[in-house]
Amino acid sequence: MKLGYMGKILVVDLSTREIGEEIIPDDVYEHYLSGMGLAAYILYSRIPPGADPLGPDNILGFVSGLLTGTGSLFSGRWMVTGKSPLTGGWGDANCGGSFSPAIKRCGYDGIFFRGISDRPVYLYVKNGRAELRDASHLWGKDTVEAEEILMRESGGRARAAVIGPAGEKLSLISGISNDRGRLAARSGLGAVMGSKKIKAVVLDGRKRIAVHNLEGIKQLSRMCNRWVQFQPPFLSGPLAAYVGTIMRILPTQMAQDGLLYKILLKKWGTGSMNQMSVEMGDSPIKNWKGSSADWGIEKSLSVNPDAIRQTEKVKYHCYSCPLGCGGICTTKGVYKETHKPEYESVLALGGLCMNRDPDSIFYLNELLNRAGMDTISAGGTAAFAIECYEAGILTKEDTGGIELTWGNTPAIVSLIEKMIRREGIGDILADGSKAAAKRIGKDAGRFAMHAGGQELPMHDGRNDPGFNLHYSVEATPGRHTMGAQLYYEMFQLWKKVSGLPRAELLYFKDRKYEADEKKAVKAAACSKFMNVVNGAGVCLFGTFLGAKRIPVFDWLNAATGWNKTPDEYMEIGGRIQSLKQLFNIKHGIDPKSVKLSDRVLGRPPQKEGANRDRTADVEKTMVGYWSQFGWNQETGKPDPECLKSNGL
Amino acid sequence: MIVAWREPMSYRITETCNGCGACTKLCPVEAIFGEKKGLHVIDKALCIECGACGRVCPVEAVRDPFGIPCAMVKKSAWEKPRFDTKTCMSCRICIDACPVGCLGLSAPAGPDDPHGYPFMEHEKACIGCGFCARECPVEAVTMNASPAGHGGG
Repeated sequence: MKLGYMGKILVVDLSTREIGEEIIPDDVYEHYLSGMGLAAYILYSRIPPGADPLGPDNILGFVSGLLTGTGSLFSGRWMVTGKSPLTGGWGDANCGGSFSPAIKRCGYDGIFFRGISDRPVYLYVKNGRAELRDASHLWGKDTVEAEEILMRESGGRARAAVIGPAGEKLSLISGISNDRGRLAARSGLGAVMGSKKIKAVVLDGRKRIAVHNLEGIKQLSRMCNRWVQFQPPFLSGPLAAYVGTIMRILPTQMAQDGLLYKILLKKWGTGSMNQMSVEMGDSPIKNWKGSSADWGIEKSLSVNPDAIRQTEKVKYHCYSCPLGCGGICTTKGVYKETHKPEYESVLALGGLCMNRDPDSIFYLNELLNRAGMDTISAGGTAAFAIECYEAGILTKEDTGGIELTWGNTPAIVSLIEKMIRREGIGDILADGSKAAAKRIGKDAGRFAMHAGGQELPMHDGRNDPGFNLHYSVEATPGRHTMGAQLYYEMFQLWKKVSGLPRAELLYFKDRKYEADEKKAVKAAACSKFMNVVNGAGVCLFGTFLGAKRIPVFDWLNAATGWNKTPDEYMEIGGRIQSLKQLFNIKHGIDPKSVKLSDRVLGRPPQKEGANRDRTADVEKTMVGYWSQFGWNQETGKPDPECLKSNGL
Repeated sequence: MIVAWREPMSYRITETCNGCGACTKLCPVEAIFGEKKGLHVIDKALCIECGACGRVCPVEAVRDPFGIPCAMVKKSAWEKPRFDTKTCMSCRICIDACPVGCLGLSAPAGPDDPHGYPFMEHEKACIGCGFCARECPVEAVTMNASPAGHGGG
């Protein structure tokens, strides 16, 4: 009996236009869960070594989560997976919206594409039928336009994942959109979809998702929801900013309870951090060479959470989310509305480029969502270009007349528009900063802030060295969604999983930079847990509530009828991590080769701001992290013995 | 890779069927096949057990997955969902659960409440299956024989 999961995947060969169902044995789910684990299982064995990420051998997989559609909460995340053209290794991108349940309602846990179509097509699935349809009329349309047309063509009930012009033009920093511009943005998988000439995946399923104990799941959901709905009334935007300032000034730090972050998210969304993060030293400024000293409260005031909230028309909830951190905002100019810009987008297009104009951030947010280009990488690459211009590596001639200086809003807007159109300098930058630095030459690489080719997110590892560690050690480098010292505190896993250390309640900030074994244990626990979470299709923000308040493990047991302990689930998480690591090794990535730039590590340390005199090196903790998975401490590769004990 | 696949549960049409086609028109997943005036069949792999065929069949030829004959119910007496917006989390689970797409998300409730809530957008399309109520984790949806609308809130 398939409970919780559907037990089948759809495999589409675009070269031969063959479409077939495959039944996945139950023990695969017991070993790898669904979602990212299932994708790792399929992709590891089926993508040949050396496969061109933009060639026919790469496989692009859309997966739902094991908990999606079961009556659990926060479980509406879908993932797209494949060999990343941006990093050359394991690639995944995660997104909310309404596409995740649509995959399962078609009867599948995942939809996998191999081969390459000779003309633009889209996949349409309804009532047991799956067909490839012509998409030539959609090619060139932006993600919102294309989705609107597809909805009209399919009667309005369907859900669609689409690429925009950036993916079509094979930009290595392009993503895949659903729900009018919500992007599965990272790893450059939009380009993989573009290379296969699939414009969209349109799903119109109505299948039921059977579970073992629906009433039990609902009971757990109601308990979780009570925590989510708890909301004190006295919050204000400026207060949030000054909390950040206090956190910067104090020499000590308190273990953070994610319930506080939940309160901020529910009121403002991730934008609650727009000022607070800068103040406390979490936001990189001026391509990582600046600090809160360059970007004080008065400069970031225009993106204060209260200011953004004034533009919010209605809250936006992803499927099965009781919190609703999203919103639909009105915006000035060409576009009338946009998804509320996330913290990452606001900082990447704002502070990172020293851009103070909030209207331009709203415009670029919508422009990039429609183009299907990652806001983090676009902002990171723009900041890289500005610094190249400052250093004289790029000239006005190179930029096509753009005066590319810090905070020059029209120049930044025009640059990103060029990147989307792949025009002039934009063509060089459209594949991210690492590829651009290679093409520009002249030692431009020293200004490219990336990990393994992927632009770094807006969380400064010099403030929380856990970020630097995860940026370096994850199979998808340069991601802020797998772990950090802060995340460990918020996950509160020690309350459910045996042998994990409790987070210290109060500690001196210096302690964060000491490489001890506990740090490796905690970081590995974050990765393992996030693999379970991504296998379940659960939202990272939900997990910030803490393991006792968001019952991921209990939901999984209630949905499937399994009787696994949290420890056993963490073991599954470790297995998925090892499999992704093996994927990278199979594709020629040396785990030691992912090096963060010296600036990001704080070598030399900054002279002012929240992170002055801080160096956040990762080398020592990295080896400890590897050993937590039983990987070789010299090479970072999983040894045969480890594979055996992992059941791989 | 391939292992035995269990047939899902399904409604079934017995030989009493007069082939009127009322169920075919109503079935939200196009699972019922048959010639006019001929015996109709339900494709087990497609059936989602919404029971609409049973409620509409004039000769009561439909059996539920347990083999119990389904009684015909007048369309005006079909149960309709009511939404308690005080309990509702705006999570959209009910909207996604609806096999006919008859539920919509409202505009924000007011200046103090920026959330949209589910409401009956296409009442004529509702087949009274109750999936919305069954899937709601917080019991904010109840099925009721009286006209649909924002109840309780």
